[in-house]
Amino acid sequence: MAEAQPTEDAFARSAGRQLLLLGLAAVAFLIVLMLALQALASMVGSSNTSAQALDPATNTITIALREEPPQLNTTITTDAVSGIVLGHTMEGLLRMSMDDRLEPAIAHSWEVKPTHATFWLRDNARWSDGSPITAADFVFAWKTALDPANASQYAFLLFHIRNGEAINKGELPTSELGVRTPDPHTLIVELERPIAFFDKMVTFPTYLPVQEKFYLQTDGRFGADAEELLYSGPFNITSWVHGASLMLEKNPNYWDHERIRLDRINFGYITSDATATLNFFKDDKIAYTTLEAENLDNALENRWQIKREQDGTVFYIEFNHRDTRVTRNWNLRRAMQLSLDMDELVYKVTKKPGYIPGRSLFPGWLMGVNDYLRKEYPAPEQVIDFEAAQQHLELAKQELGVTEIPEIVLLTGDNPVSNIQSEWVQATLKKRLGLDIKIDKQIFKQRLAKMTTGEFDMVLAGWGPDYDDPLTFGDLFASWNLNNRGQYDSPEMDSYIRQAQNSVVPEERMAAFGAIQQLIYDDIVILPQYERGVTYVVHPELAGVKRRVIGSEVDFTNAYIVGGGD
Amino acid sequence: MAESTAQANQFAPLETTEAVQTISRPSLSYWQDAWIRLKANGRAIFSLYLVIGLVGFTLAGPVIWNVDPAAQDVDQISLPPGAARVVTLVPESSSWAGGSATGSGLHFAEPPTTQHVRLAWDAVPAAAEYRVYRTTYSIGPERALGLPLFETTETYFEDLLDLRPRNYFYSVVPIDTTGQEMDTFETIEGTLERVITESEARDRGLLLPGETAPMGTTYTLKWHPLGTDYLGRDMLARLMHGARVSLFIGFLAPILYVLFGVVYGSTAGFIGGATDQVLMRFADFVVALPFLLFMILFKVVFAVGPGESGIMPMLLAMVLLLWPATARLVRGQILQIREEGYISASRLLGAGTGYLVLRHMIPNTMGVILVTITFAVPSAIFTEAFLSFIGMGVAPPTPSWGSMCNEGIKTMLTTPHELIFPALFISITVLAFNLLGDGLRDALDARMRNRE
Repeated sequence: MAEAQPTEDAFARSAGRQLLLLGLAAVAFLIVLMLALQALASMVGSSNTSAQALDPATNTITIALREEPPQLNTTITTDAVSGIVLGHTMEGLLRMSMDDRLEPAIAHSWEVKPTHATFWLRDNARWSDGSPITAADFVFAWKTALDPANASQYAFLLFHIRNGEAINKGELPTSELGVRTPDPHTLIVELERPIAFFDKMVTFPTYLPVQEKFYLQTDGRFGADAEELLYSGPFNITSWVHGASLMLEKNPNYWDHERIRLDRINFGYITSDATATLNFFKDDKIAYTTLEAENLDNALENRWQIKREQDGTVFYIEFNHRDTRVTRNWNLRRAMQLSLDMDELVYKVTKKPGYIPGRSLFPGWLMGVNDYLRKEYPAPEQVIDFEAAQQHLELAKQELGVTEIPEIVLLTGDNPVSNIQSEWVQATLKKRLGLDIKIDKQIFKQRLAKMTTGEFDMVLAGWGPDYDDPLTFGDLFASWNLNNRGQYDSPEMDSYIRQAQNSVVPEERMAAFGAIQQLIYDDIVILPQYERGVTYVVHPELAGVKRRVIGSEVDFTNAYIVGGGD
Repeated sequence: MAESTAQANQFAPLETTEAVQTISRPSLSYWQDAWIRLKANGRAIFSLYLVIGLVGFTLAGPVIWNVDPAAQDVDQISLPPGAARVVTLVPESSSWAGGSATGSGLHFAEPPTTQHVRLAWDAVPAAAEYRVYRTTYSIGPERALGLPLFETTETYFEDLLDLRPRNYFYSVVPIDTTGQEMDTFETIEGTLERVITESEARDRGLLLPGETAPMGTTYTLKWHPLGTDYLGRDMLARLMHGARVSLFIGFLAPILYVLFGVVYGSTAGFIGGATDQVLMRFADFVVALPFLLFMILFKVVFAVGPGESGIMPMLLAMVLLLWPATARLVRGQILQIREEGYISASRLLGAGTGYLVLRHMIPNTMGVILVTITFAVPSAIFTEAFLSFIGMGVAPPTPSWGSMCNEGIKTMLTTPHELIFPALFISITVLAFNLLGDGLRDALDARMRNRE
């Protein structure tokens, strides 16, 4: 054994050397591979890797998109990212100004009467190929969106137009749509019923014009690619590398092109990774990014100018009011209402900046008659009282004839914020009321499916506005509304909603919304959780960026580089 | 010639003596020998102690550290280990509508605490609105005021958002009627005091029912040795309860599927021939089945509803899909042993099948089986952690190491302890079992027996 030692040592040494050499070779190989791949990638891809957040020389800004737009067919689009791209490339009859007021766009003037609305179109409004935008383009777009064959999810937004609903149900041919074009630049829309905010509705993407000739020529691929679209707005898409980037260039045929100061918007990155976009921003690769709570400290440390805005969406716990569910019991809901402190949820648990604890179905930014709706009709105050909650729980048990409330299913989304919230609800109700909550985590589509079939007792739901009127929230719990997933059914609620829908007198309508707000609190239709906020940072040399509640969530059409070439 | 014949008297019995051959060392059984060799392996013994410690941590831990892993404390969210815990009793918060003009300029209307920060300032004539900012870094020349908290038309503001006992800089910027921020702004610096209200103190058992205490009394909040998670739950308690899930899967699944694999493999190997062929081809078929897909399938088939633990389908999927590796190994071993000389000898001496299997086959494959189990344990623990990480395992509020990592990774940069502790436990456990398995393989290898 003693003699064997040196040879074993020598063997170990040589083995070690070999291993070391092998390791070095492997590392060298990896480095070479990495460089080669990078070189290859830069040859194949666009010039994004070298893009700068702001490029004054070419008057270009670079932005990251959360996702790639599935397609940009305006008649069927529903998602927010498509909304951003369309907000920069398309323009409809009217648009929202920088201070959120309606302003003329393709239509230079308009008029809304109880029976009909009239829009007078500009003579100089042109598509990106130079052909004029006429009233017929709007008529074609709306008929296409309503055509049942197209199955547009947002077709219901066009139901305000006479026969719109019947056409969408297939009861009438599209030719029966209540629109008239006495001349190419006048558009008369007959209304199904008096509607106070029809002019606000037409800013929605579903109301955007589509040229019939071009649409037919795309042969079903309308909006699928940069060449399959005709643009009516400030920018054209000049290149669309699927999964990678979109390049927008100023549209010289846009009637209002003098307003536009940027030459290019480069949506150079497509990623939903918050840390990645934060690093892009830090490295001066993109000019704008939203901030997540976990990145906030980083932003503070970097001394960025942080901005905050409400994004318009309201989140709430929706109860299932079907007969078979325990949550139909008012006392049980009341016990929960008295136990769940939304201030605690927002300020201590989710801790997201810009979030406002929920008090009402109607978010704070909605306008009433003269001021904010919530100022004219203040929301009921939140009352937290654990002893009263216990009493209501006892009453609920008596009414339900049980000694213990059976397990309650809380349906929720599959994302970090929903996880935290649902676990907070679960623990709070267990602690305060001794209720057992089962958390049912589902992806978005599956959650919607379960909400529709009513497989839940409570669900963490949210609602974003479709148009700028309180009715977009107000009619949610109408007995006939398909989005009323808990099937809340109350004649009182229905009568208020009818009043808000049919009246054109602002005072009457707002009084109806005030009554709906109170009824939702008294009857505990839902428990409002919070109004979502958003914090974001913009490159210090980029001015004129606008966040919107409705329409394109972020709007660069009026943006410009400070000190850059105009 | 005298005939020489053997006479009886020429023979005498040999004297009884001690054994000619003495066994210089005590006779050792296979297991004793293996144990000695395992003991000589420092790493393996250390790992063995780790494993024992881990089992103790899981079984005895919750008895000693009797804390509810689901109990949330919203005032102690995401606290790192060793955070300060002294709180001062303050009156209940009542709604506040400005007032108490006890200062001029931007000032704290009340001493700032973690309960609320109440700011008041003087009206600026041209201002339509005021925007309140907050930051934890001093405001430099770049006018980085930090996080915008709120816009208000009043001249006061109450901050409630995520208040921590630290230094904050508050700034108030007037906004003119066109919505532009004015150039002038005021900043105030304040250190927040950690406080608790009476009702909160009662909730946490610091104040007993019926007991009252004067304002300003200080209390020490409950100690969390490893800090708390994103909902203020005790990390140590969660790790202990999480270990139950991990070790339950980690031990039960391998034992079940190794057992099945042994029976299956030895049957195939012992019978041999066509049966062997059929059985092993079936094993090949099972190998080809994708684990994750089956795991999801079982979840659906067994109607593991929403909010229910996915542990049982996970166990089933493991047992049903992971046995072929063991089966192959054991079959190979049995085939080899079957042809050994001592088996033939045993057969010639009339040994029956049962005797052969029990006396020769199983003891000789024992080493292989044990080693397989020790290597299967860490892989099972890891699989559980992985599946819980992607959200297919336990249902909340039950913790598991994998799901804790999943939650912790989201706040990796701000509160790393939420990720580090469960990750550390997974790593240590997996490493300990691997090293132990390594040591066992060396110790149980019969060929190394006589290498002294």
